[in-house]
Amino acid sequence: MEEQLAELVTKVAALEKSGGMLGTIDIEVYYFWATAFMVLIHAGFLSYEMGASRAKNVLATGIKNILAFAFIVPTFFFFGWWIYLAFPGGFIPSADGDAGLPWNAAMGPNLSDNATGVFWAAFTMFAATTASIFSGAVIERIKMSGFILLAILLGSVLWILAAAWGWHPSGWLLTDWGFHDFGCAGIVHLVAGAFALGVLINLGPRIGKFNADGSANDLPAHNVPMVLIGLMTIIVGFFGFLAACVIMNGGAQWVNIYGQPMTLSAVGFNTLMGFAGGVIGAWALTRDPFWMMSGGLGGIIAAAAGIDVYYPPLAFLIGFLGGVTIKMVNDFITKLRIDDSVGAVAVHGWCGIISLIAVGLLASGYPNPGDAPPVTLAGQMVGLVVCFVVGFVPGYFVSMFLKVARLLRVPDEAQVVGLDLAKVPLKAYPEGGTSYGLQPQPAE
Amino acid sequence: MGSPITEWEGATAYFTFANNPAVLYTILGIAIAVTVLSIVKGGRHEKEAYEKLNGGK
Repeated sequence: MEEQLAELVTKVAALEKSGGMLGTIDIEVYYFWATAFMVLIHAGFLSYEMGASRAKNVLATGIKNILAFAFIVPTFFFFGWWIYLAFPGGFIPSADGDAGLPWNAAMGPNLSDNATGVFWAAFTMFAATTASIFSGAVIERIKMSGFILLAILLGSVLWILAAAWGWHPSGWLLTDWGFHDFGCAGIVHLVAGAFALGVLINLGPRIGKFNADGSANDLPAHNVPMVLIGLMTIIVGFFGFLAACVIMNGGAQWVNIYGQPMTLSAVGFNTLMGFAGGVIGAWALTRDPFWMMSGGLGGIIAAAAGIDVYYPPLAFLIGFLGGVTIKMVNDFITKLRIDDSVGAVAVHGWCGIISLIAVGLLASGYPNPGDAPPVTLAGQMVGLVVCFVVGFVPGYFVSMFLKVARLLRVPDEAQVVGLDLAKVPLKAYPEGGTSYGLQPQPAE
Repeated sequence: MGSPITEWEGATAYFTFANNPAVLYTILGIAIAVTVLSIVKGGRHEKEAYEKLNGGK
């Protein structure tokens, strides 16, 4: 009998150990595949940006987009992850950041740590997303070297600093203000949109975009189907992005980054409803497929901050508001003689603003764990201002410095003949039979 | 020479040179240098390409 009991105890211990490891591996698998889905965001942005450019700039645009992704990865390893772990309290780094230093034992294959690598990878994809958002706004006239420096600044420094403050269980925006931004509407999209706006002011418009009287010309995308497929691909990737915003606990309920309980079903409900609202809203106003698909993206972003708590028809309405307003906001920006080539400031910046305010107005009172105050409109407004400032101010001043250093804008001659002819050792459409790429457009 | 372990039992950080900080810092330093130099070289290529387009000015 005693022998049987001892055998039973051994078996239970082995089962417990095996069950615990299974839970650990479940978590690792979940974030690994969420990260893989997020790569689709970049496949989408690549297609979107190349389609939105004119034929004479298509490959240079693609190179720029790919390099934004590629340079974010090592720089986020070198210092981005450390920033996230070190700065939740403000500007003074804490010792918690040591775990993110690039020579730490956690920052490589480690049999006692199944989590750091997949979390780092997911955050790296968030970082690359911010850089890709910015990338689309500045196509066809930004210098590659200046662009890479700006992309690294945004993707591996600025947004992750905002994340340390407002998307971290110890971030001061949460602990002092109860800030709530489930899907990074402010932390990723508003920061990136505001950064793009700051850069666009110094970068200036593409040649031929504006006439002397201030009126704007249309510089049409050379491949609209490519744009639409790209945008839909981004939407697919956003399911990975939002899935990675949820914290999986082995054997316990899901929580968001702030530690509030939630379900993955909430993401299923409200991501789709926000998307649909955005598409229908943009269609109702414009009948234009470019804005419809941009509206779908904007709809998800507008709902993103509260996706974990919204009643689904509310997410639909917030998405609709995002979709129906983005073209108006883009037209307003264009009237200011700012040439945002793909409407990134409107889609990401404006919809990020809607998202943060909507949570403040519609989801106030949700409790936060520990001593953090509940969600309030005031807390959301503080977070909104912080996200805008963290994006806009460095974007404006660093791009101003790059402009003075002649590292920001390509020469006019190169813009006229096309960036591909000027510097890319390959033709996008060698058998296309078109001389479009070599001809100035009427506005030029 | 790169393995920090001689057996898998009890192994934790098992990435190459995990037990040799000097080599680790060197590899990291080279990786950072390659990243920075690639940007510099890309900028130079771009400058030369635009100068060529503008007749060498």
